[in-house]
Amino acid sequence: MIEIKGLEKEFRIHQARPGLAGAFRDLFNREYKTVKAVDDISFQVEAGEIFALIGENGAGKSTTIKMMTGILTPSGGEMKINGFVPYKQREEYVKSIGVVFGQRSQLWWDLSPLESFRLLKSVYKVEGKEGDAWLDRLVEELEINSFVSQPVRKLSLGQRMRCEVAASLIHRPQLLFLDEPTVGLDVLVKQKIREFLRNLNETEKMTVLLTTHDVSDIEALCKRVLVMDKGKLIFDGLLADLREKWGNGTEVVFQFKAKTTVEQVRAVLGDMPCELSRENEYSIRIKIQRSQEMLPYVLSTVMSSFDVSDVKMVETNTEDIVRNIYSTKDEVVAHG
Amino acid sequence: MKDIFRLFTEYLGQYFKSRLAYRANFLSELVSNLVFEVINLVFILVVFQHVSTMKDWTRDEIIFIYGFFLVPYAVFSMFFSFWDFNEKYIIRGEMDRILTRPINNLAQVCLESIAPDRIFGVITGLIIMGYAAFQLKLTFAWYDVLLFILLVISSSLIYAGVYTGIAAVSFFSDSRTGIAPMIWNIQNYGRYPVDVYNKVIRILLTWILPFAFVGVYPAAYFLRKEVYYGYAMLTPVMGIVFFCIGLLVWKLGVRKYSGAGS
Repeated sequence: MIEIKGLEKEFRIHQARPGLAGAFRDLFNREYKTVKAVDDISFQVEAGEIFALIGENGAGKSTTIKMMTGILTPSGGEMKINGFVPYKQREEYVKSIGVVFGQRSQLWWDLSPLESFRLLKSVYKVEGKEGDAWLDRLVEELEINSFVSQPVRKLSLGQRMRCEVAASLIHRPQLLFLDEPTVGLDVLVKQKIREFLRNLNETEKMTVLLTTHDVSDIEALCKRVLVMDKGKLIFDGLLADLREKWGNGTEVVFQFKAKTTVEQVRAVLGDMPCELSRENEYSIRIKIQRSQEMLPYVLSTVMSSFDVSDVKMVETNTEDIVRNIYSTKDEVVAHG
Repeated sequence: MKDIFRLFTEYLGQYFKSRLAYRANFLSELVSNLVFEVINLVFILVVFQHVSTMKDWTRDEIIFIYGFFLVPYAVFSMFFSFWDFNEKYIIRGEMDRILTRPINNLAQVCLESIAPDRIFGVITGLIIMGYAAFQLKLTFAWYDVLLFILLVISSSLIYAGVYTGIAAVSFFSDSRTGIAPMIWNIQNYGRYPVDVYNKVIRILLTWILPFAFVGVYPAAYFLRKEVYYGYAMLTPVMGIVFFCIGLLVWKLGVRKYSGAGS
């Protein structure tokens, strides 16, 4: 479905010299700096996957998406999506993809979304009953029926965004690109859009690529995550693996009935690879690196050796993980 | 091509729908357009009251040329009115969206900024020509109508080509350029008989920025100035050549855009 091998994109950036004299020199002799926005990335995606591309601003996400949507021509590498080479067979290729750029609208400002859909239908040559039924389904599932006939300029951001998603799907693409689809939306709308995407993915086997800053999007939708940094792909694998790799593991906070010291608990646990720290006289926090096998053991050992009044489990969320990745950039990770 | 035509009718329909959405606005614009054209008309007549002849052109002949010029200009500006191309498509990045749609990108840009209200220019032009033709007691054969249509289309293509080329400069330079206003100043000269200018300007207006082909030369055919028949017949060729040049520059521009992005 998506095959990308050694994809590269270099930009030549004009380096302006400082000062008036510099500006004058620039007139005749310009200095350029070559910047690798995307540096040798490779990955494959099967049909029907939902996956996320994350990374800090300037990590090369947008450039990658732009190359994948055929807008930019790569400087190197191979790329084949839906059986097309995007930048070469652009007009054919774009019929098989849908694109939502969160910051830009594809709806006509003065028209109602319904009229925009009609126009898009003729742009994509969607005809007949099947197209109508499909549109009806989109309208129903995104719950945009009540405002679909109002001019776009009168819609709220959440309403508009749902219409944008519908607009990008008019031609029933096999692959959907969503670039920051939930920026600025409230929780309810986010949830609606996510539910819709999940359902679409299940029933239509539609492949969805998401770039986002919102970690909850990823948690709600994706199994697979790609992390980019400085143009390189630094992680490609399951969300669970990402958690394990960069997560802080699981933390368990025990509340004891009697005063208990760290040493006492340590003695019980032996040389288990875990970190103990004192919360207060009655409470101890245990940090476990790899959660799956260790957690039951720690729980049962501590519970059977002491009088425990309360247990609190703290799961590291993906947000922390992402922060961890960004702060420990030097680590190199094998491709999952 | 068939698709683009079909889309054109769709966009036209949507244009009127969105315009009609602002009812009051639509009506007032309709009126102000008409008033604008009438003032234009009166202004030209007043100006030419004081000019009797230019070289061997009479006042009415010059009015006729002006009337002719208005027609292809109106046709052209109906379809090519993306004046804010740099701002909207390059700086705000709408070009990305255009490139993710399966229709020729120039056609999309044209359709999105289509301005059917420019059609009033055609009407004004025809009225002015009619007035001048009446004064000059010109007679026309039936095939002159067909020739008129052909010449108008050709002249519009010249405009379209030059305009597309200028707009495409935005792809190469990220800052606003001063070229466009300069060229639009030059186009004014095409409305007057070229033999009043010196040789350099005449060559410029004929071969380099061929604005003489949107005014004097084709109009000269209807004024029965046989000296210019050759030029008049050359209009379609120039139209095609310059339109192709415009398309080529545009295409190179899009390739540059794909190479560098914004």
